[in-house]
Amino acid sequence: MTPRRKKFFRFPWRTTRQIREDVDEELRFHLDMRVDALVALGLSPDAARTRALREFGDLDDARRYIGAVDRDIEAAQRRSDFMNDLWHDIGYALRKLRAAPLFTLAAIVTLALGIGANTAIFSVVNGVLLKPLPFPQPERLVRLRFTQHGHSDAGTPMDLVDNRSRATSFAGFSVMEGTTANFIHDNADAERVQGVRVGTNWFSLLRVKPIAGRFFADGEDQADAPNVAVISEGLWKRDFGGAQSVIGKTVRINSQPFTIIGVASADQHYPLTVDLWMLKRWAPNELVDQSRGARWLGFLARVKDGVDVSTADNEVAKISEAMEKQFPEAFRERRTHVVALQDWLVGDVRKPLFIMLGAVALVLLIACANVANLMLVRATAREGEMAVRTALGAGRGRLVRQLMTESVMLSTVGALAGLAVAKLGMHALLGRAPQDLPLVATASIDGATLAVTAVIALLTGVVFGVLPAMQVGKHDLATALRAGSRGTRTRPGANRAKRAIVIAEVAVAVTLLTGAGLLLHSFAKLLSVDPGFRPEGVLSMKILLPSRAYDSTSSRNFIHALEERARAMPGAKSVGITNIIPLDGGGYGFSFAIRGRPAGRPSDEPNTEVREVTPDFFATMGIPVLRGRGIMASDQPGAPKVLVVNRAFADRFFPNEEVIGQEIRLGWGKEPKGETTPIVGVVGDVHGDALESKPEPTVYASIMQAPDDGLSIVVRTNLDPASLAAPLRAIVHELDHDLPVFSVQTMEERVAGSVGRQRFYATLLAIFAAVALILSAVGLYGVIAYAVSQRTHELGVRVALGATGDRISRMVIGEGLTLTAIGVVIGVAGSFAAGKLVATLLFGVGAFDPLTIGSVVVVLAAVAALASWLPARRAARVDPLAAMRGD
Amino acid sequence: MAAKPMDLLQGTLDVLVLRTLAWGSMHGYAVSRSIHQRTDGVLEIEDAPLYKALHRLEQAGFVSAEWGLSENNRRARYYALTPAGRRQLRTEESAWRRYAEAVFKVLEPT
Repeated sequence: MTPRRKKFFRFPWRTTRQIREDVDEELRFHLDMRVDALVALGLSPDAARTRALREFGDLDDARRYIGAVDRDIEAAQRRSDFMNDLWHDIGYALRKLRAAPLFTLAAIVTLALGIGANTAIFSVVNGVLLKPLPFPQPERLVRLRFTQHGHSDAGTPMDLVDNRSRATSFAGFSVMEGTTANFIHDNADAERVQGVRVGTNWFSLLRVKPIAGRFFADGEDQADAPNVAVISEGLWKRDFGGAQSVIGKTVRINSQPFTIIGVASADQHYPLTVDLWMLKRWAPNELVDQSRGARWLGFLARVKDGVDVSTADNEVAKISEAMEKQFPEAFRERRTHVVALQDWLVGDVRKPLFIMLGAVALVLLIACANVANLMLVRATAREGEMAVRTALGAGRGRLVRQLMTESVMLSTVGALAGLAVAKLGMHALLGRAPQDLPLVATASIDGATLAVTAVIALLTGVVFGVLPAMQVGKHDLATALRAGSRGTRTRPGANRAKRAIVIAEVAVAVTLLTGAGLLLHSFAKLLSVDPGFRPEGVLSMKILLPSRAYDSTSSRNFIHALEERARAMPGAKSVGITNIIPLDGGGYGFSFAIRGRPAGRPSDEPNTEVREVTPDFFATMGIPVLRGRGIMASDQPGAPKVLVVNRAFADRFFPNEEVIGQEIRLGWGKEPKGETTPIVGVVGDVHGDALESKPEPTVYASIMQAPDDGLSIVVRTNLDPASLAAPLRAIVHELDHDLPVFSVQTMEERVAGSVGRQRFYATLLAIFAAVALILSAVGLYGVIAYAVSQRTHELGVRVALGATGDRISRMVIGEGLTLTAIGVVIGVAGSFAAGKLVATLLFGVGAFDPLTIGSVVVVLAAVAALASWLPARRAARVDPLAAMRGD
Repeated sequence: MAAKPMDLLQGTLDVLVLRTLAWGSMHGYAVSRSIHQRTDGVLEIEDAPLYKALHRLEQAGFVSAEWGLSENNRRARYYALTPAGRRQLRTEESAWRRYAEAVFKVLEPT
């Protein structure tokens, strides 16, 4: 009479049919008994049966009801059996794992590394690529992408007019124009703030609400409306302590009074890096057909609800075709398309990030392989235990379940430890992520990440558990039991599995190492690119002169005074000032005409970068003057204008002629029509945009002859350049209290910063490859060492028969190297695929780089030799007597 | 308990079954005859609800069931009280007694 029968033994589970039969049998028994009793009382059998049935009541209803109840009971029983078994398995697994602490620790550390790295990278991928942007219906937000002659182009004011009047698929269009602003409030120091000028409908397109105040209203962009601005939550907290009183406050932006009307939430604003939104006010000569050549605007739009984004794309494409027909001069081969805002933001990091995710998944695969190997070794050692359990009646399924429980428990603990690793890894990762990696700040270990980690843990548990589990029950019970006490001799099948695993590990490691090697090689190439200037010992900083406060005369005076005082600083060797500093972006092309050559169509005009410099700029930066002269102190406003060009300019536009003495007219509106400027010198090329892109044709003008509002000052010194930052700031502050100084960096920092992404990817991949290498070396070591320990007897015999220690260790090392060699061959094949994947991230290195692959092979061979040398040494020292006795 | 007539009937039957099984393990037919004799046929209890009650009580964990051999050597399903069933019987029994006493107090002349 056991209330919980399962405590002692288990009844076989009943099928639905068996249940039905049992119910029928029980009821039949009752009726038969009753009929017998009534017959005994003298009733005829028929009468007895009728009476018994009447007494019983609704037989069919009872049968149905009882059957249903019994099925429920049965299901509950199965559930509780399952849970009981599970608890039993978990308890058993825990005892087993605790009994082998070294194995358990090795497995957990390996898994923690693999799972942790995956979690960290996935959370970055999730934050950057997968999470939707924080706006309502973000998939309908698009940017317009313009191209002309296949090159990327910016928008003109007329694009707004064209699309707004013709397109029907959009809820609205808004322009954006990036700007930096000198922001001054109350009596605080001037601050340089990243801002943007937008249309009044900007925030309603994003469909976001202000966290304080309001956003722009219609009509506020009219010329006679008061100046209003929206600030970011970050600026609000930083500068105003988050006080509500900021609404309605008047601040000075670029020396003009503005009223703050609202605060945009930090989680919901765009552009992400902006702290200040102002309104784009159209000058009367901007929204006219003549401005179609002027390209500088960005466009944000929202596709109407119910309209396909592809329909919207077709529509803008059609409109731009129509415009090309109407304005063939300005719009020749100009195309317009919509790009989802998310793609616009992360388009160029998608591929590298997915490559990193793939690489880290490969690391996890190697980790799995290692743990599977450990499990296999253990499974061999436990064959006796398994045989005993089989003999006691455990089915194969039951044993497999037991082993899988152990694997999944290992991977679960590994995943928990992996979360800690991921937390640390994220911290390191985000700290090193390049500034321009978009959205990276939103990466965090959140619910999605946790869910993925849980799935990874479960999958890895199954992946590395399934192989050892498959070995269960494959062996001959009697042999296993007989050999039980000393463990069984390895079956060839298990050894083959271990070897296959090691070969696979080596192959994956080769692939990863090649990928990492390619990126590192390409990174080294990139760093070895001559930037065209000498960055050592040069400090740079940027200043913005607000055009309201500075006309060209006061700008000139400011530049002059700044140069004089900076030069007087102790330690300053030379000082240069320019409008656009190299490797800082911000350059843009100007079309120009060459005197004596027929003018082409507007869209075919030659194009050049234009920079303005002081005479000492070239010397300070270390840019050589190759021919003719540089800019000189005499190139003052009154003097005739001159231009200096770079070598790329000379080579591109005057390949067979002397460039000095040629005259060009820049189409930038600052020169009267018909007036040309002579070229007086050629200087060396500078990588203006990035080290990996070719130097663009560039002309240099005297900054005194055409001062710009953005200034960058560079100072060359023999001291530590960073030590000049404070005195240089003080000088600017003395000259104008209201001018913020920003982007204070040594030129070496700028060079390093310009390759931040490449450094990030190369470092990440190198770390993954190193982990892969270590893990596969450990795996190889484990397999060889185990093989040696299994073959002690055989080795003893060999030694006894006269094999020298040298011979034995050569044999063992040879075995390790053979496995490695097979893995390397497969891995090299895999590395072709890896090379193709990373090809677009490479600079100066082909996807198949013999040097990289060669180094990888050498490194792997060395590591493999070391990993097999350690067990080989042990094998060589086998004492034949002990080995043979021990058997 | 015992608020609605249906519940009253069901609860009554359950407590009768539990009480019957308190003497020892028996099969459904024995339970049926035993209740019939003890109540002198006053309660017209059909067997269908009785069997439903037995299985319901099994599901609730108050009785356990096991196949065994009957007195005439046939396979029969034997029911027995579990410790939980014993506890349930005690609570229901005292509830019934209080209920009956209360009804009698009203019915008896003062």
